[in-house]
Amino acid sequence: MLVSLKEIRKYVDLVGISDQEIADRLTFAGIEVEEIKRLASATNLVIGQIIKCDSMTESNHLHICKVDIKDEILDIVCGAPNARVGLKVIVAKVGAKLPKGEIKKGCLLGHESYGMLCALNELGVDEKYLRKEQIEGIEELPDDATVGNEDVLNYLGLDDTILDLKLLANRSDCNGLFNVAREIAALFKRKLTLPIYEETANYNETNFKVDSLTTNCDAFTLRIFKDVKVKESPKWLKEVLRSEGIRSINNIVDIGNYVMLLTGQPVHMYDLDKLPKQELIVKDDINNKVIALDDKEYDLISNDLVVTSDNIPVAIGGIMGLKNVEVTTDSKNIALEVASFNGTKVRKTSSRLGLSSDSSSRFVKGINKDNLLEVLKIASYYVLNLCEAKEISNSIIFDKVIHEAKEINCSISYINNRLGTSFDKETIISTLETLYFKINKVDEDNFIATVPSFRIDVEGKADLSEEIIRYLGFDNVKSSLPLMETTIGQRSLEDSKIKVIKDYLLNRGLDEILTYTLINDKDNEIFNYLTKDEPYKVLNPLTEDHKIVRRNLLSSLLNCIDYNFAHQNRDFKLFEVSNIETNKKNEVHLSIGLCGKELNQELYNAKDFSFYDLKGYLINIFKLFNISESRVRYERILNTNEFHPNRSAYVYLDNKLFGVLGELHPTIKSNYSFKKANVLVMELNLSILLNMRSGNNKFKEFSKYPSVSRDYTFINDNNMDYSNVIKEIKKTSGFIKNIELIDIYENAITISVTLEKADASFKNDEISEIDEKIKNLIVNKLNLKMR
Amino acid sequence: MEEIKKILSEAKSDIEQDVGLERLIEIKNLYLSKKGKLSVLINKMRELSIEEKKSFGKELNDAKAYVESLINNKMVELEKKKLNQKLESEKIDITLPPIDSHSGVANPFYKIIDEIEDIFIGMGYKVEKGPEVDKDHYVFELLNIPKDHPARDMQDTLYIDNETLLRSHTSAVQAHVMEKAKGQPIKIICPGKTYRRDDDDMTHSHQFAQVEGLVIDKNINMGNLKATLELFAKKMFSKDSKIRFRSSYFPFTEPSVEVDVSCFSCHGKGCNICKGSGWIEILGAGMVHPNVLKMSGYDPDVYSGFAFGIGIERVAMLRYGIDDIRKFYQNDIRFIEEFNKKVED
Repeated sequence: MLVSLKEIRKYVDLVGISDQEIADRLTFAGIEVEEIKRLASATNLVIGQIIKCDSMTESNHLHICKVDIKDEILDIVCGAPNARVGLKVIVAKVGAKLPKGEIKKGCLLGHESYGMLCALNELGVDEKYLRKEQIEGIEELPDDATVGNEDVLNYLGLDDTILDLKLLANRSDCNGLFNVAREIAALFKRKLTLPIYEETANYNETNFKVDSLTTNCDAFTLRIFKDVKVKESPKWLKEVLRSEGIRSINNIVDIGNYVMLLTGQPVHMYDLDKLPKQELIVKDDINNKVIALDDKEYDLISNDLVVTSDNIPVAIGGIMGLKNVEVTTDSKNIALEVASFNGTKVRKTSSRLGLSSDSSSRFVKGINKDNLLEVLKIASYYVLNLCEAKEISNSIIFDKVIHEAKEINCSISYINNRLGTSFDKETIISTLETLYFKINKVDEDNFIATVPSFRIDVEGKADLSEEIIRYLGFDNVKSSLPLMETTIGQRSLEDSKIKVIKDYLLNRGLDEILTYTLINDKDNEIFNYLTKDEPYKVLNPLTEDHKIVRRNLLSSLLNCIDYNFAHQNRDFKLFEVSNIETNKKNEVHLSIGLCGKELNQELYNAKDFSFYDLKGYLINIFKLFNISESRVRYERILNTNEFHPNRSAYVYLDNKLFGVLGELHPTIKSNYSFKKANVLVMELNLSILLNMRSGNNKFKEFSKYPSVSRDYTFINDNNMDYSNVIKEIKKTSGFIKNIELIDIYENAITISVTLEKADASFKNDEISEIDEKIKNLIVNKLNLKMR
Repeated sequence: MEEIKKILSEAKSDIEQDVGLERLIEIKNLYLSKKGKLSVLINKMRELSIEEKKSFGKELNDAKAYVESLINNKMVELEKKKLNQKLESEKIDITLPPIDSHSGVANPFYKIIDEIEDIFIGMGYKVEKGPEVDKDHYVFELLNIPKDHPARDMQDTLYIDNETLLRSHTSAVQAHVMEKAKGQPIKIICPGKTYRRDDDDMTHSHQFAQVEGLVIDKNINMGNLKATLELFAKKMFSKDSKIRFRSSYFPFTEPSVEVDVSCFSCHGKGCNICKGSGWIEILGAGMVHPNVLKMSGYDPDVYSGFAFGIGIERVAMLRYGIDDIRKFYQNDIRFIEEFNKKVED
């Protein structure tokens, strides 16, 4: 909402209060001023008249003008096509400061120039309020402009400051200047003088009928004006509208906008002679194609509020009139509507049609239903005075609104207890009264407040506490920490467990990333190993890139690796922990991505990341949760072009699918910038771990007796899984404590088997016996050659 | 006797030669082994009188002990020399770069969440989470934003279906927690991701995150909110941070306020960060609306509460001087690793 302070100062005595002070006070009272701007800014201006205007022979568009500014005659070179003798113009003299710079004495093609003839945009007026010819040429002042007048901005009505209010949903009342004036008058406790509109005309009876067949239009009032003259608006009205950012069209349209601007209540007009029947009826069961005033076609459907006449649509209720009954310069008789349309319905229709207007946005935010007849009176006043209407009807009224002032029972103690303040009764009562509340039945503590009708947002005593504190200021709130029973502050158990995993990975040198939950179609199709549920799809996505709620973290991870690789980051380790939500489940997943090589691990010997790096993270996460490897099983991922078929695996924990890990397939890599790079990824469904009981750490006595180790080297030329070999060897003796892989050279594998007894040392023959069993197993049962 | 002296001086000069370890062992054998030059002198004892035997024997033993000690000393010396040579050969360039074992770095987004959590955990708050795809009922209805409330326009929401949506604020968790608490006092924060139908640019993101705070008990007032946020600002920004309230509007709080913190860069003098005002808007807050309490089973005449919502990225951007919210979601390693400093004053 743009507010002209020049207008406000007409209604409120604000002498001695600066524009900035007004803006600050409003902002702290809950009506944020987003911007303060001068309508125009220029110094050293004067009104002049062109008394001589010669085309410059050296140029095809420049004029050499002699301009009378009363005290002297200036030579000014001017390029405007409309410069001509007799024209009264705005002269910026040498030294004038305009938004685009200072005017200096100039010399064009040998002709000296002492100033500039100006267009309004050169004084800082936004071009959107100006006609094309006003921008292309210089401003043409009316003949009655006084040559030599130096207070040009005042003369033009441009000496104004505009506040851009960012109104929140509760203060829709401030969509009208009168209410803004009320608010400012209250905030500064200054005198408020709103204009009084006397009804002076004679009213004619009329047979015109208004009605509403829907509860969503609960009031519809109308007046009919005959023999109106549609013409240009007077200068004062054009200036007000320009200050408020509205283009002047003609007097009748301008009146509608002006009255809406003053009161916040939309006003709509119809060409009476174009109405099919002497009636306006609001309906919500119309299905029809219509052409609105913006010349576009719209499809009306049931539940849209439509003003009809003889069942023919004539306006989309509260949003925009229709072309068939448009008021034009030829219109003679008009009908003027002030109505109450349900904001919800207006909003729905407006958003469905993609059509909104100043009118619809006001209905959506809410209007003061008690004010319709007053608005009708104000509008009548201007139509009568500015359009020279000959005949005016009495008000035709449909009104089902219950006009009853809201009363709120409240107390001084309630307000102070809620706010943490200690205001006395007088302060609270007088503050509410200043804000236009009526206070009744006051006792020591309790009172009843009657809400002014324009404050449609105030509903209960909590709202009254807000009125008090926004007016008196939050400095009055005494800071004190809550006195509550002491509780232990903590993360949830699940969060604490997640933090353990995150800390482990961070300590291992992985960076933690943050990616978008919403992905595109393409990414939704890949890496769906852990979740096959249908994904959530956004009904109203803003872009194709963010329309599906992801089911896995890997597609996002690949995009992140892709971005980094494309930006010359080559070797890195990443992870992310995030929610995965489908309509069947809400899980926490972990993704890990490795790109390139581990730098500097063995000094200057970088090592490419491999499957076993991922497996290392996996196993160590299991260890954090006290999960033994015997509960973990791996299976190859076959028939995919996402993972390398021979270097990837599903992981099962207690036979439940827990994750996938491995090297990327060259086919999928070809879609990314890291086509040729070494990239490995893993995704785990952490929820399986998080939901498990992990038990507590407990000390278990270790053996006091020396352990014994024996190494075995065998040739694995029949491609046996290492884990199977180990499993078999483990079965040979209960004393095998550990089997460690110590070397792989080509297909020769060396392991070290450690034996240990809890209660004694080994004797040599015991060791030999186990040793023989192991050798026998390897050679005879597993059919492997030993070395 | 003369002979002992003679052999002794021979031995001494042999040992004092620049000998290696091997030669030293030869020398040892030469003099002290069973057939060594000194050892064999024992045979001479036979030729001596008892008196002489005594003194000769002592002298011989002394001589042997002396030679042995000379050899041992020399031995220690040589071993030390050998060790030093070995150590010398093991010299390294201590200025070469180290074996890298740097710890990973979290996107500053997570650092801020962690920090906020820690601040409030220190004040006794529990950390709660809620679903990101949630029901209209929790995201709007229970927060005093009925269907078609104009405030819904404030947050253009991404819908899954008529009743299901991507939560547009973490306030939704309030409603879940109140439902579970069944009328008991509450003191929680809920950090989490939120979504709005916004175009991504330097200051807007369709995905962002908030930390919601909620305290409900008997006699909670706005002063409690103020003190809590003052403490938060001091911890989060600077020891001398101040806050101020500006009246605002949220459907689920009444009164509602925008909270500004004194600019921690210029300390109120006015600079680029605070756009000259000395204050920076950091969060929205207010007293829980009576309707919200009522709908979740709290009697608003007995219970009251406050709530606040902090924008994670906004705080991170202010704290670290980040100018583009998209940087958090881009995850450029160079960006993330700028935050490797884990200790801050």
